[in-house]
Amino acid sequence: MNLRADHVAGAAFIIFGATVLALSGDLPTGQLSMPGSGFLPKIVATLTIVCGLALIARAGESAPYSEIPWSDGKHAAMVTAITAAAIALYEHFGFIITMGLMIIALLILVERRNPLRAGAYTISIVLFTYVSFAYGLKTPLPELSFSF
Amino acid sequence: MESTLLSLAHGFAIAFQPDNLWYAFLGCLVGTLVGVLPGIGPLSGISILLPVTFGLNATQAVIMLAGIYYGSQYGGSTTSILMRIPGEASSVMTCIDGNAMAKKGRAGAALCIAAVGSWVAGTFGVIMLTMVAPPLATIALKFGPPEYTALLVLGLIFLAYMSSTSLVRTLLMACIGLLLGMVGIDNMTGHFRYSFDLAELGDGIGIVPVAVGLFGLGEILSTPSHKVVGDVISPKLRELLPNRQEWRESIMPIARGSVLGFIIGIIPGSAHIISSFLSYALERRVSKHPEEFGKGAVAGVAGPESANNSASTGAFVPMLALGIPTGPITAVLIGALMIHGINAGPQLVTEHPDVFWGFVASMYVGNLMLLALNLPLVGLFVTVLRIPYAYLYPLIIMFCIVGVYEVSHSIVDVWIMLIMGVLGYVLRKFAFDPAPLVLGLVIAPLFEQSLRQSLIMSNGNYFIFFHRPIALGLLIVCVILLGLSTLTFILKRKDWRDKLAEAEAGEMQQ
Repeated sequence: MNLRADHVAGAAFIIFGATVLALSGDLPTGQLSMPGSGFLPKIVATLTIVCGLALIARAGESAPYSEIPWSDGKHAAMVTAITAAAIALYEHFGFIITMGLMIIALLILVERRNPLRAGAYTISIVLFTYVSFAYGLKTPLPELSFSF
Repeated sequence: MESTLLSLAHGFAIAFQPDNLWYAFLGCLVGTLVGVLPGIGPLSGISILLPVTFGLNATQAVIMLAGIYYGSQYGGSTTSILMRIPGEASSVMTCIDGNAMAKKGRAGAALCIAAVGSWVAGTFGVIMLTMVAPPLATIALKFGPPEYTALLVLGLIFLAYMSSTSLVRTLLMACIGLLLGMVGIDNMTGHFRYSFDLAELGDGIGIVPVAVGLFGLGEILSTPSHKVVGDVISPKLRELLPNRQEWRESIMPIARGSVLGFIIGIIPGSAHIISSFLSYALERRVSKHPEEFGKGAVAGVAGPESANNSASTGAFVPMLALGIPTGPITAVLIGALMIHGINAGPQLVTEHPDVFWGFVASMYVGNLMLLALNLPLVGLFVTVLRIPYAYLYPLIIMFCIVGVYEVSHSIVDVWIMLIMGVLGYVLRKFAFDPAPLVLGLVIAPLFEQSLRQSLIMSNGNYFIFFHRPIALGLLIVCVILLGLSTLTFILKRKDWRDKLAEAEAGEMQQ
């Protein structure tokens, strides 16, 4: 049997639905006349499993899993990793340093742009945004803090 | 009718206040830019700029955010016509004939027809909104929990039926959205659900991090910069006016697109996207020269552009009259009103007439502003489009982080955005449309509350939904739609939705 895209997607949804059901174990289902907090989540999780099974049943119509193009995966992984690092540092290093580092990393490491041009672009964009938020929109952005 | 006109006059008095005019202009300008730029849609634009409105009053906030929404529908056509890249999803159909017209040297005429069509449709939509919303709000006052439950179920099923992906895929997305919407404290019992001891999840998962993640960051992850080509056709200012033949060919498509768009806009789902597809299909069907479609047919630009603008206005009817979001964008707008202490819904007209009528009147003004903005500033937009995407997307990521963080100053929200971005990327790979997920997330609390209240009211008897005429009528429509979808599923027959999905896929690949 050829592994199809919907086989993988359907299985993932079944696992997700089963996980939600397992996590809902301690939530009271209640009765029809007084439904508890676990009532609707359990119904929806079951529906997710049923739909996952339906997806697998019709998986033959989907593209083979091997044909899903992942050529942009490296770009996506690099952007995700740099964004994650920026989020981790955002509250500690503040807006100017974190966003400056993030944009320059994206331009130089991911996009292979000229470092001088990337640096000038980054500084002007970050400072303009900071000033616009702080003074124009009266919405101060996080600043450098050493409290890790 | 007389009281409606008096209220509208009161609305104009509010809309013409200098501050409100300024925020309408700002919203329209930002919205046009959001629509022009590929990779950032109206949902991301509104979500990112939501925190900026915290310092404004409710009327100004909703005027500005709505301006971004309908402004983006205008702007989306510019990128479609000049670059053959849809600036946002509802402009996909405009790419086909709009760009073909541009290649024939009629870029200016295509832009003008798109702008005039958008203005006519937008104004028609607002007139209909003025007439329909207040009486609908009066009827909605009779709605109880069973009617709301049935209406929300209808919304989900209609979205599934109208979606270009299959019923199962749409339901799966809606289920995931509903489950995400149940994270946090249960309002009726006080139980913590799926919060994993994170205090930040006690209030639940917000719409903004999910929407920005799925549609903003997810789009960026799926779009490597080398795939965004920067060939922009630059029209000259003197070429902006269409000739007499082109005007004649655009009149009826604009009229049909306006009516069709408004009707579809009222129905829950990604109305502005669906309406442009349906309008294109309709124009091709009624045309005496269907073979011209794809080669620069004027109707292929006028119809879809009018439809998506009318639909974006129509979407405000259920939002303002019933307090029900028809899609993720109206959901974020409802959230914006709630932040200012105002609940959208039947009481909005009576309890906050300044907000309601000021907002409606500002849309008349905003549509005029957009017409004035879009044509003379086309040179500016062409310049914006020439900024390399490699320089643009880091900026968008920065605004995504800042926008999400500023909503509640929670870094957990920003992590949720990142997770949703990765999820959005994976979902696109497996051909899932993330829009129903956001809709599920938005309606989850309202749906759960109304369902449980209905069951408590009836002492656990499900027949409460069949004993009340409005709820029964809505459920019958649900059954009919499910029946139609199941029939297609069993017979494995291609219907109009499959054909539209193929058209969309074909356009995206080009």
